[in-house]
Formats: sequence, structure tokens, C-alpha cells
Amino acid sequence: MAITRRQFLKRSGLVTAGGLAGSAGMFGHPLVKTAMAETIGDRYFVILYLEGGNDGLNTVTVADDGLGSLRTQYESWRNAGPSEGGNSSGIRLSPGELAGTLIGDDPNTEAQLALHPGFAGSGPGAGGLKALYDLGKVAVIQGCGYPNADLSHDTSSRIWESADPLGSSGYGNTGWVGRYLADPSTMYGALDIPAININSSIAPEYVQDGTSVVAINRLRNFGFPFDPDYGDDDAAKEMAFLELYAESLASSQPTVEFTGGAGTTTFNASQSYPALHALYEADRPAFDQMYDDLGSSTARDLREVAKIIYGSVTGQPNIDARHFWVDNGGYDTHGDQGGATGKHYDLHNEVASAVKVFYDDIADMDPGLEDKVTILIWSEFSRRIQQNSNGTDHGSQGPMFLIGGKVNGGVYGNHPNIDPLAVDSRPNTVYSQDVLDDFRSTDFRDVYGTVLKHWFNMPHGTILPNVLTLDTGMDPTLFWTVEDFDMTHPVNLGPLFTP
Amino acid sequence: MGDQNTLLTEDDARQLIRRLGFGIPVKESKKFRVSGLTGLTRGAAADLFLNFRPKGFKPKSNEIEKAINKWYKYILKRKKNLALQEKLVIFFHDHFATNFSTLDAQGPADVARRKMAEQNKMFRKNCIGNFKTLVKLVNVNLAMMDFLDTVLNTKDEPNENYGRELQELFTLGATDLNGEPNYTEDDVGQVSRAFTGWNHEAKDGSQHLRAAEHDTTAEFPARGPKVIFGTAHPVGGGHNYGGFAGPQSFIVGGEAENEIDEVTEILFQHLDTDGENTVARHLTFKLVEYFCHASPSKATVDAIVAEAGFVGSWEMVPLLRSIIVHDIMYETAVPAPFGALTKKSVRWPVDYTIGTLRSVGLKPKGGELQIPGGNFRNLGEFVAEMGQVLLEPPSVFGWNWEESWISSAGLLARFEFVRDVVASRGKFKPEKLINTDLTDPGDIVDAVTDQLGLTSQFTATQRTTLIDYLTDEGTNPTLDLNDFDTRNRKLHGLYGLVLQSAAAVLH
Repeated sequence: MAITRRQFLKRSGLVTAGGLAGSAGMFGHPLVKTAMAETIGDRYFVILYLEGGNDGLNTVTVADDGLGSLRTQYESWRNAGPSEGGNSSGIRLSPGELAGTLIGDDPNTEAQLALHPGFAGSGPGAGGLKALYDLGKVAVIQGCGYPNADLSHDTSSRIWESADPLGSSGYGNTGWVGRYLADPSTMYGALDIPAININSSIAPEYVQDGTSVVAINRLRNFGFPFDPDYGDDDAAKEMAFLELYAESLASSQPTVEFTGGAGTTTFNASQSYPALHALYEADRPAFDQMYDDLGSSTARDLREVAKIIYGSVTGQPNIDARHFWVDNGGYDTHGDQGGATGKHYDLHNEVASAVKVFYDDIADMDPGLEDKVTILIWSEFSRRIQQNSNGTDHGSQGPMFLIGGKVNGGVYGNHPNIDPLAVDSRPNTVYSQDVLDDFRSTDFRDVYGTVLKHWFNMPHGTILPNVLTLDTGMDPTLFWTVEDFDMTHPVNLGPLFTP
Repeated sequence: MGDQNTLLTEDDARQLIRRLGFGIPVKESKKFRVSGLTGLTRGAAADLFLNFRPKGFKPKSNEIEKAINKWYKYILKRKKNLALQEKLVIFFHDHFATNFSTLDAQGPADVARRKMAEQNKMFRKNCIGNFKTLVKLVNVNLAMMDFLDTVLNTKDEPNENYGRELQELFTLGATDLNGEPNYTEDDVGQVSRAFTGWNHEAKDGSQHLRAAEHDTTAEFPARGPKVIFGTAHPVGGGHNYGGFAGPQSFIVGGEAENEIDEVTEILFQHLDTDGENTVARHLTFKLVEYFCHASPSKATVDAIVAEAGFVGSWEMVPLLRSIIVHDIMYETAVPAPFGALTKKSVRWPVDYTIGTLRSVGLKPKGGELQIPGGNFRNLGEFVAEMGQVLLEPPSVFGWNWEESWISSAGLLARFEFVRDVVASRGKFKPEKLINTDLTDPGDIVDAVTDQLGLTSQFTATQRTTLIDYLTDEGTNPTLDLNDFDTRNRKLHGLYGLVLQSAAAVLH
């Protein structure tokens, strides 16, 4: 039974012991975090969410038929673009357009796979994800999803975030990372801040009963606002503020309690995190400039993550966050999707360039630091294999990406089956866990589980059931019946994360 | 159990002013003050609030930021029940969420701004009108046709964006109150067929059906007959989606413009797995969440729908009246300390900021609505940092409400906003809000929380905290608020703490 952060606060007596009375002074208040947790390890994890349903069938595309007919089928579903004599409404990527971003073969059909040309990046991030793939630092995991794909953005994103396709686990509104962070095995103390979301709100996969997860848009603006004209009253205001919020945190009314926890955590974060901005600006001007040159929201968000990791590795006080969340919106490409140029290209280029600069930044901070960072990229669904007039409607399973120094790079998982006889009536690709199916899909929770087991070193028996749960009593050819969380490379047979 | 004949207490009156408008304004006409409403029946008060003629305002400018500021300014100034008008416009703006940046990306910007402004005016004109009429207007609303790709939905390769959201968000909901799906993917495809070929002309913006781009059963026999809700329910078994006896044709009047209205009429007859009208429950549930608190019970929703006679009439006024006279309208106002079952609701950024400004009588400066203190930032920047920008809901799902607003980034923006409000020297004047001859710290705390209508929301411990703050833990047992420095340090500080506290962040 996982202990929640709130329960921990209460059990440890910090809230209810009446310890808030009396004058504690600026840094002596019992709710002001002072001790650095030394037990939380030094591995960093970044989730990058492609919001809106990324067209994975153009993100990881087949450049030839291999032993099967994937390319032929792909061409039958998607109209030729300008490079093949079509017009701009055709979203098909031609072999020529894919020539610069070829990756490995599809494990099943041996079709030559290629990343979207946008993933080659540009500007200071030139090379992009393709360059990192060539370094062996990118796992491309095809065909990730769950049975009976729900095509609502809302429902499907909740499924990915909660990691609970059947809604049968009793996990409530919690997210999979939130459950991991709340597990006692993570060793986070009650007043630690384990995760920062670079956003104005907390992402659903980080939700847990406690509110120690912090959302920050920009570190430089995160100082606590006191009245500038009466600085001599700051300590009194701080004391009163913390006591008002501690009382709310002690409430049995859930929303009041939630708000009380969030206000307290916000104050704590405001004491330690803003200084990381100036530190990074002063120490790392060259990379600072590269993110500026890219100018995209993804680049700027990843720079905030870089600032925190830099603060962490240089030993700044009370910087305990190891988990981060950023997003890149705009993937709901019903219209004007484009092919090798246009909207989808721009989206991919933004992500790939920013991730490349971020990776290089990390690797440059400290030798081997890139081995301590993993990025996971996901989207709530892919899009339909058959294009509409100039875009794609909602679809089913799509690719995920894991990027990092310890990632055993390559192609994992099978390309979805796009044979006209295999797709459903929409037509969408069909999820399958049948071991006899050559196009067997990957449950997205196998990826989560592999991250938990091999990146965070969480014991298998703790992952199940504290973070993930089995679907029992379901058709084994459809539902998740995972036996381990040991995804292995289909060619070199090594584990996904190099130990 | 109260009803329309229940008399309003002072707390009830405050609750109505706050929940049907934005804060409790320092200046308000007599009828709509706490003193004017107290003692009226809930029914009489509801009639008073709902008796207005919608105005024709639209947020239009040659820059989107200016248009948004114009809307904030308009809300700031709404008196009497026209504050309710704006609450309803924001409700529909969220329900039928459309954002400027998507339209802007399709260009040109001036056209995008005009369409957003026109859509906004349409919500205002219809906010206390007929809901079914409004859905039909939204079906062919220019901004919506662009936003959800109706203009790209043509016969050869239909685009399902609008056909899905019309069902999932605007009328039925993805699932009913039992968690059962309300429609199938086939229904999404079929409804999308009805909208194929709808477009508008660039030159005059007139909407019409381009017959040559419209899907007909003769041309696409493989797509089957144009019917919805013909699929047997896979879970409950035995009955069809929507509770219909069989598949519903939406081409009874032919295969042309009539189809989208016929689809809408069928959706409004859809019954959920309890046999209740799905649209009525879905809209009522959302309205109660918006005006009262999240997760109302099925019984409450059904009682409100029934009392309003909403099914069939689809009139907003009786529906809103039923909500206002129902006990649920008053549930979040119970005094502290709160129990596990007490209902609370998080004030959303526009409500919190504009409500705060109205409740302390501070006017932001100029067209950019600058808060004249602290960092001298503009109102819109704060609201955005709290997670909300009018005319820019993040997606067709609108904003994420309730606890989603409570994040460190969002809270810190609230704390800074309040700090800047109370540091607005010479503009924020608490000496005009409370009696500065008071010297007892307990009296001063009570005067401030009374003025803001929040006294009942603080526990005894929190009141003690505020008194200790005023006295510096007993060092200064009395205060002279007529002393400039004492007032600026401690009375401004007290206002700041109260407005930053959970009592002010929540309803």
C-alpha cells in the first residue's frame, strides 16, 4: 500500500503537532524545507508529450517493402506530395525525402524504416534525433498502444497518463509517475519536491494525492512576492502565510487540504529554485544562446529543465527534483498536415532540434552526465493510415521514443499492420498481443515498466501493483499479460537500458 | 431541503453575488447588494438575476491582446445581473471552445479576430436563450467551421473533427453518468457525413452547403445508409445507443442542408443507459459544476432538469433558475471548519482576479489594464500565468477546471497578483473599505474579512494567525491605522494575506 505524501506529512506529525506556533524566523519554520535528501539518487527523467495525437505513421515511416508490402500499402493510403508530382494536400513521404533519416529495419518485415525528415533538426540542433539515433542513444519503439483504441483525445490521454486502459485498477485520478514518486521505495522525504513540470499546471501523469510536484513556467519569475516597500515585515508575512496554509493542509476537506499543500510547496520551491536561473545564465552562456536561437517553446522549456539539472549536479541546496515534464502542442493535424514540409515537419523539427541541444548541453555539463538522463516521448494516439483531404483523423497505436546515454539505441516493436484486410472499418490499425501475430503490438505499459525497473531500479514486485497493474481475466490475445519489464533489443539482444 | 420559497440569508446573498458574478463589488446598485438580496426568496432572487437583455458587446480590435483586454475591461465594469451574462458567455466559450491561435495560424489574422469576436457576440446574444438553437448556430458558426475543420470536410475524404466533438463535447458527452459510451465510432463517421461540403465564402462569410462536395448515398453506397445510433450496445446488451428503437435516419427531408439540423434533433432525443435525456443531463451537469461544485449527484441533476422542464423546451432561463433555487447553489458557502464532505470549488483565474479587483475597488490603469503597484504588470499577464487566457482555451476541450488550477505556477501568480494589488500605493485604499479608527487587532481582522465577505471561511486558528501577524506576535497589542506607515505595512499586509489564502482562492 503506497503511502501518499500527504499521509506522510500527517504521520510524521509535521502538520498536526501544533508545531507551528511561536516565532521560528525566516528559515527556522518547520514547514520550510532545509535538509537535502541524499537518498533519492542521481538519475533524471524527462517526459516530453506530443499533444494532440501525433501521426506516428509519418513519424516512423517505411521507405521500402522489405520482405512484406508495408511501403506499397503506405503509398496506397496516403496521397503523393509535391516531390512525387502530387500537390501540397498529399502527406506521403517519398523515399527520396526519407533518404537522410533512415534508421534500422522493422524487426518483423525487415522494411527499411526512416524517421520523419523533421527529426533531422536544424540550427544549433542540426542532426536532431537522427544524429542521436546514429550515436545509438535513441530507442524507437513502434506500435505502442492498448486494445480497442479510444479515439477521444481526453479519454486516450487519460489512459496513457493513468496507465490504466480498463479503469479497473482503483488508481483513481493518479498518474503513473505520481504513483511511482509516492511509493516509499523512492525515498523522497515529505518536504522534498521530486518533480518539476515546466507548465502552468501539473501534468496528469504526475498527479498523486500529495502536491509536492511543482509546476514552474520560468524559474526566473519564481521568487516569493513580498511587498517591496516594507521588507522589514517580510518575516511576519512569511510566518502568517505558512501558518494559514498549514491550517488548510490540516483540513479534512479534500480541496482545502490540496490547496494547503500546494501553497506550502510553492513557498518552499520559491526559496530554492529561482536562483538556478542566474547560475545557469552565468555559467553556460553558449548553450543558453543556442536555446534562444531555436526560439521555440520546446527549446525554452527544456532549457528550464537543463537549469535545474545543472543546479542539481553543482550541488545547489534543496534541489531534489529528478523528474520533469514538458510538452509540444499542435499535433491534432486534421488539416494542413503537410508531408516533408509544412505543419508536421515544423512540429518534429522543433522537438528534434530542442532535444539535440538539450542532450549536448547535458553531455557538456559534466562528463558522463548524459548517462544519467532519459527522455521519454509519447502521444495520446497516432492517426489514421488513410489520409483525409489534406490531413489525418484520429488513429490508434503509434511510436514512443526513449533517448539517453544509457539507452540501447535501435528499433523496438513492430510496425503496425496497415494491410487493408487487417485494418478496422475506420480504417485504423488494430492492436494485438497475440504471440502468433507477426505484427504483435507493444503495450505502452511495457515501456513504462522497463523504465521503472531498469532506469529507476524499482523492484518488479513493487512496480506491480503499486504503479502498474495486470489486466486479469481478459482475452490474452488483446490485453496486457506482461511477465517482466525487460524489453530487449531485437538485434543485439541487450537490455533497453545498458546497466 | 430548501426550494424557491426559501428566504436568503446574508451568507446566501453573498454566495449568489459571488457565484453569479465576479466578487462582491464595492459599488453596486441597491437591489444587487447583499442588503438588497437578503430576505428575498431564492425564486425572487433568481428572477431578478435572470431578468436581463443580453448586450451586443463583442471583443474586437486590430490586435488580439487588445481584444482580450477589452473583454476583461467589459467584465470588470458589469453591474447588476450583467455580470451573470459574462459568466454565461465564458461558460459557453469553454463548452464550445474555439481558440484564436488556431484560426490565426490558418490566417489572415484580421479575419480570425473578426470570427472570434462574432462568435463571442453570438454566445452573449444567446446565453439566456434556447440551447438547441445555440447548438444549431454553432454548427455553422464561422470560427467553429474553421476551428474543427468543417471547411475541410468533403465527400471524398471526410474529416471527422466536428462530427466527433459535436457528440463528445457539445451535446452528449463521451460517456453518460454511468460511464457507458454514448455513441460509437460509426456514429462519428455518420454525423461527419452530414457536414460534408459545408463551407463559407471568403468574401462575405456566408455559410452554405456546396452540393458538389456533399456525400450522398447514391455516390457512396459502400458507406451504407445515412443513419446514426444503429449499433447494438456492446456492454449492457439488448438496447441501442441512444435508446432508439432502431437506426435513426437523418435524411428524412432529403440529402442536403437539412441533414445537420436533423442530426441535431436526433442528438437532442438521445437517451442514456438510465433512459434519461442525455443532452439535458450533460449540459446541466456542466452548468452545476461551473456555478456550484464538481461532481453533483445524479439525483440533483435530474431534479434540476425536471423542475426546469428542460427536456423539450431547451430554454436556459428556467434551467438556470432551477439551479439558483436548488440547495446545491449554496453548499460551498458553509462556514469553516470544513468537514470531509463539505463541497468546495476552485476559483478560476478570471473569476479570482476580476473578483478581487471588484471587491477592493481597484481599477487597473489604461487600455492594458496595468495593476498599479509592485511590478506594475498587466492584468492579462497574471491571468495567463494562472493558466487562463480568454479567446485562447487550450483546445476544444476548453480549460481544465477545479484542482487543475492549483499548481505552484498558478498559485504563485495569484500571490504575486495580490501583492501587486495591495502594493498599489495611492490606488488601493483600504482606509476607504474599513473603519481605520479601529485599534483592536481582532476587530481589524474581522473588519477586513467582513468587507471581503470571507469571515466565515477562516478557522479560529487562522484568525489567531492573522491577529498575531498584526501584533507581531503580541509585541504591538494595538494598532493606529491612521498612521501612514502602520496602515501600509500591516493593513495592506493583512489584505494581502487574506486574499492570498485558501479562503479567497476557493469558493
